[in-house]
Amino acid sequence: MNSRRVILTVRSNLVSRNDRTRIDKVNAELVTLTYGTIVAQLCQDYDSDYQEVNKQLDKMGYNIGMRLIEDFLAKSGVGRCANFRETADMVAKVGFKIFLNVAPTVTNWTSDNNQFSLIFEDNPLADFVELPDDGRAQDELWFSNILCGVLRGALEMVQMQIEAHFVSDVLRGDDTTEMRVSLVRYIEDEMPPEEE
Amino acid sequence: MTVYSFYIFDRHAECIYKRRWLPRPTSVAGKSQIPGAVGSSGQTVRAGDDDAKLVFGTVFSLRNMVRKLGGEEDNFVSYATSQYKLHYYETPTNIKFVMLTDLKSPSMRIALQQIYINLFVEYVVKNPLSPVEHPGGVGVNNELFEESLEQFVTRVLA
Amino acid sequence: MAAPRHSAMLSISNASTPQSTSSDKTQVQQPQSPAGTSGLRVPSNRKTIYDRHLNRSRNAELSRASFAYLFGEMVSYAQRRVTGIQDLEKRLNEQGYPLGLRLLDLLFYRATSTSSSALSSSSTSSSPPNRPLRILTLLHLIHGPLWRLLFQRSADALEHSVSPDTPNEYMITDNEPLVNTYISVPREMSMLNCAAFVAGIIEGVCDGCGFEAKVSAHNQPTEMWPSRTVFLVRFGDSVMEREKVLERAGVK
Repeated sequence: MNSRRVILTVRSNLVSRNDRTRIDKVNAELVTLTYGTIVAQLCQDYDSDYQEVNKQLDKMGYNIGMRLIEDFLAKSGVGRCANFRETADMVAKVGFKIFLNVAPTVTNWTSDNNQFSLIFEDNPLADFVELPDDGRAQDELWFSNILCGVLRGALEMVQMQIEAHFVSDVLRGDDTTEMRVSLVRYIEDEMPPEEE
Repeated sequence: MTVYSFYIFDRHAECIYKRRWLPRPTSVAGKSQIPGAVGSSGQTVRAGDDDAKLVFGTVFSLRNMVRKLGGEEDNFVSYATSQYKLHYYETPTNIKFVMLTDLKSPSMRIALQQIYINLFVEYVVKNPLSPVEHPGGVGVNNELFEESLEQFVTRVLA
Repeated sequence: MAAPRHSAMLSISNASTPQSTSSDKTQVQQPQSPAGTSGLRVPSNRKTIYDRHLNRSRNAELSRASFAYLFGEMVSYAQRRVTGIQDLEKRLNEQGYPLGLRLLDLLFYRATSTSSSALSSSSTSSSPPNRPLRILTLLHLIHGPLWRLLFQRSADALEHSVSPDTPNEYMITDNEPLVNTYISVPREMSMLNCAAFVAGIIEGVCDGCGFEAKVSAHNQPTEMWPSRTVFLVRFGDSVMEREKVLERAGVK
């Protein structure tokens, strides 16, 4: 690249933006659109095999969740939850609030307190979105499936193995967007490998 | 105060990062050891490996004992021997931060928490080019993390 | 039974299509549309992109970390499917490109509703702004409104190469690209710049405006701005020729 150039604008940002904590927000549309390109890329890479796309989204979410939980704990300073009900509230009211600026409703608990639903009134990931009109996407693709993975990855890091999947989505023509979350088990501490 | 060494253990009980600044005086070898000289490099690495395992075993047992005595929420903060002080901080994700210092050092709990929040989360966890987990320490040893850790320990803590 | 007339309307999938205000929408609540017939089901409470205002998310903000994680996962997913740094940058560029095309429509739409004068000198507040005809107008659109839409601030510099060999080269500088905030590039990959994604967005905007261009992201760190990135915009020959014609014709 040539180093000789003419300056065409006045430098507009002389203020240092080095301070990371000062601006910790981004334009929501940047997030929405970036997520859209990710799903679109997956649909392309997997030739519109939506089952596979769901799986990949879940996997990506899992990776994100494992990182995001550290950030969540660092930011919120919260400790361990006493039980799964408390965890559900923490996920909905604090976790989703911090990272997606929504607070899904926690509902439909089973009597053993091991399963609940998250109902999303708003879902920033799905703004601007309409599924492909190919006769299959609305039946097979869970557009926001990354969120299931995020939850799974995040809770695994705090010693809870869970299963999460969407049961309805407004993008599919349903009236609500609902995710079902089940506790599988609590994970025991890992021990160092035995001396060989 | 002097920082001797620093360790991070992940949830799989593996040492994913260790750093030594000054050799810790050990009760046996300490007297004959010249400060700063760590012997031949091959030996140092091996000694370091064993070190990490011992440190993990110690904090793991101590933490479990403390929980048995004081309840699930209890945790130990540090212990001291006649030679050094070991500071401990564990995240809810079971990542363990350990720092060994001299006896004059004040509590390092806040410092370890700062390392977790401001260095580990910012430069390791959020770095997309670093893997999600760090078998063998992959990804923790990146430039941003190491440099800022060095700065933190030598300028802020010293 | 799906309503065909309805489906024709719904198949416009461009996000920035102005909303339909048609009031005679039929609710299609089939559990499953029969194969062959097209038509998307919509929720009865009308939570579709056509029923919500396009500017609704205009000033909405989300956690910067969420973006960092998404972008990060996008990079590592791309990384698993490529062989080298160039390949990775190419892929990131390709993922940004369609975003640029879409953002362009959004930019114009928003510019109309706010009658911004940054887009075109001939635009009035009542009619949609003309798309840029000259290179400089386009670059100002990228440097200002596009950057503000994406990153909530303008880019830091806009420059033109003065070398006689490369009059088609322009440079947009970002001192601290948002996308690189959390990226610590290992030494052996020191050439890599993940802002290739943003380069792709710029390329999409240029192409969408009819300015064929190649855009690449380059590391140009300074002491004060270690992640300073220069986006090199290289316009195609046809663009440069047209530019000369327009210049002579006095088109602004």
